[in-house]
Amino acid sequence: MGSTLRLYLTCIRNTLHAAMCLQNFPCQEVERHNKPEVELKSSPELLLNPVVICRNEAEKCLIETSINSLRISLKVKQADELENILTKKFLRFLSMRAEAFQVLRRKPVQGYDISFLITNYHCEEMQKQKLIDFIVQFMEDIDKEISELKMSVNTRGRLVATEFLKQFI
Amino acid sequence: MAGSEGFVGADNAEAIITRIEHKTRKIESLLKQYKTVEALKTALEGTYAMTSDERCKSAHWIAVHRAIMAIKDVDGMLSSLDPEYYDILMKYLYRGLSTGDRPTCDQCLRIHEKLTERAGHGCILRFLTDTVNTV
Repeated sequence: MGSTLRLYLTCIRNTLHAAMCLQNFPCQEVERHNKPEVELKSSPELLLNPVVICRNEAEKCLIETSINSLRISLKVKQADELENILTKKFLRFLSMRAEAFQVLRRKPVQGYDISFLITNYHCEEMQKQKLIDFIVQFMEDIDKEISELKMSVNTRGRLVATEFLKQFI
Repeated sequence: MAGSEGFVGADNAEAIITRIEHKTRKIESLLKQYKTVEALKTALEGTYAMTSDERCKSAHWIAVHRAIMAIKDVDGMLSSLDPEYYDILMKYLYRGLSTGDRPTCDQCLRIHEKLTERAGHGCILRFLTDTVNTV
């Protein structure tokens, strides 16, 4: 089980390393505009093949690249209803504060839980390797966070129920 | 450039499908003799012909999938595979990874790691940039 996670993250890391070849490219249609081409998808010659990497039926990663921007969308494993709600709330919390993360997208792509948008400006300011390390570390940590949240919800529920039912003894 | 016809003649596609069926029988017989590397080479050959027809692509993919799932020793397989097959193998690995089927994804992830070590990141980039010859 752990080895598939390691292989999955290695595959994503290698693909990102190859795909993160971004350069500045002003908009072809509108003068003096500079837009992330992966979001607009207006010119097919500026886009590379999108890649879907699935670990299993529940977890997958979509990587779309263009000449000046790269979009990574993740679908996180959600085993039951509680994890579903926790994941949605937690990732929404992060997405709302996307300004602080810089590379996070405010809304996830349709069909996925969270999305990152990396542009050539990010690659100029920050190191490419460190960006890739951040994404992979994020993927590792998200599973741990959701498990911790689930455990704390269950613990609190159990404590509250015990205290409440004590009065009936 | 040969092979870049826009219109796919129906008889041409049928000929390709027949060829793929022959190939599949050959692959099955090679796999029975535990010759997994030859089976994979047979599956990967000639996959560029008629790449615009969806049925041909699916038929090619089924043959390659059969060969990939039969591989047990990834290192041995990669050392005996010619480098000219690395790019096309990478394309089929990514097709396998997009299916979402657990055993296929496990196998493809295993091969992907070793193939990237051998072929380098250029192999991945050639797959990403090749929008014409997709599998």
